[in-house]
Amino acid sequence: MSGEHERFVEELAAYVLDSVEGPERARIEAHIASCATCGGLLREYQAVVGVLPVSLEPVVPPAEAWAAIRNAARGRPLHMGFFARMAEFVNWRPVAGWSVVGAVVASLLIWNVVLQLEVPGKSEGPQVEALARRPGRLVILAGAGVPAASARLLVAADGGHGHLAIAGLKRLPADRIYQIWFVRAGAPTVTGGTFNVDARGRAWVSVDTPVPFDEVREIAVTEEAAPRSVTPTGPYLLVARSWR
Amino acid sequence: MARAAGLTTMPDFRLWRGQPRIGGSSEEPPDAELVRQMRLGHEPALEGLYGRYGGLVYTLALRIVGDRELAREVLQDTFLRAWNASEAYDAQRGRVPWWLMGIARNRAIDLLRSRPHQARVREQEPVRAEVRDPASVGSPDAVALRRAVMNALQGLTTTQRQAIELAYYGGLTQVEIARELREPLGTVKSRTREAMERLRQLLGPLVEDETGRVTRP
Repeated sequence: MSGEHERFVEELAAYVLDSVEGPERARIEAHIASCATCGGLLREYQAVVGVLPVSLEPVVPPAEAWAAIRNAARGRPLHMGFFARMAEFVNWRPVAGWSVVGAVVASLLIWNVVLQLEVPGKSEGPQVEALARRPGRLVILAGAGVPAASARLLVAADGGHGHLAIAGLKRLPADRIYQIWFVRAGAPTVTGGTFNVDARGRAWVSVDTPVPFDEVREIAVTEEAAPRSVTPTGPYLLVARSWR
Repeated sequence: MARAAGLTTMPDFRLWRGQPRIGGSSEEPPDAELVRQMRLGHEPALEGLYGRYGGLVYTLALRIVGDRELAREVLQDTFLRAWNASEAYDAQRGRVPWWLMGIARNRAIDLLRSRPHQARVREQEPVRAEVRDPASVGSPDAVALRRAVMNALQGLTTTQRQAIELAYYGGLTQVEIARELREPLGTVKSRTREAMERLRQLLGPLVEDETGRVTRP
């Protein structure tokens, strides 16, 4: 067993406990992706961590908690996945369903086109604020490696995609690219896309959120070699670690 | 289906396998079925899931944030997020309670990280004396599971247990733990690894049975 491998095995327990910070986390994930032994050990450690809360002395939650959850759930439209909703609808209404599906898809396409058209050539502030009022989550990324930079990520309520508004980064040459990463606990870091900024250091890009947003512990932007990297290799230029 | 508000929810041995509650109706659906129903907007499924795991989520949240009001906030947020993002659950990646615990822990740690570091460390201090007698409540299987995990934790040295708890319940990084304990970072890392390895050895058969999908290298 190589010394390098042993070093990663040493880090694996801390990684599963979400006790390792960004760059080191990325290196561990890159190793896990290529090491079956560590992959197996990772699963065993995850299973152990999964039962740790059982050791706690049970505490009964306040009775009013369920009422609050129920009322809030009733007050919110359920954010079912689009295809689940459509599948359910079509199952019940095999004939009329498809016309409605078509209309909804067309509406979404129009909305998306409008969204894209809103962006270029205008100040992004009002658009970002308007989007921030739509159902979803707003995450602020602060400059890490580039203190003057900042970004706002608007994630749709049902996850799956978001929009990222960036300011303060330098424009990169053709062989370099900015890349956004979703860092998770006990699971590989995944990318949400790449982008470059304009001459003023700004960009407004559509971002994929390919993993459940509740699993994401950090969101970071790094500079990578074009066209993209499989794992973050550069230092974090922008990062968000805590959001509601 | 049992009314959630009236349940004293306890972690149940068999519930970790997504099976109906011991003593409950054999017609109670497994966890994954409840999640599937939640995706279709069936509120009783949410109530059923809360009835099974609300207590465990609240217990975990309270252990992390150390404040009943904040723990209630975490509890409510966890189940609302599960309701709104039930499609995010992937059975291939683990059991339903693990998914819920993950949401709850992330939310609780986020709250914890929004506080000054020293406050977080102070909140962890009572934890160091944790590992109490097995609770006298809950089903026999639930008590047996709790006893097994507690015994495993008691099988660790104090410093090993401290390393696990500061990381898992305290949300501290290895660097922060080393700083707090005034120990070399390498020592903290080794201690964490030794603790996890010890837990794996002690809980291995149990965990393997529970998940049915753990593979040994």
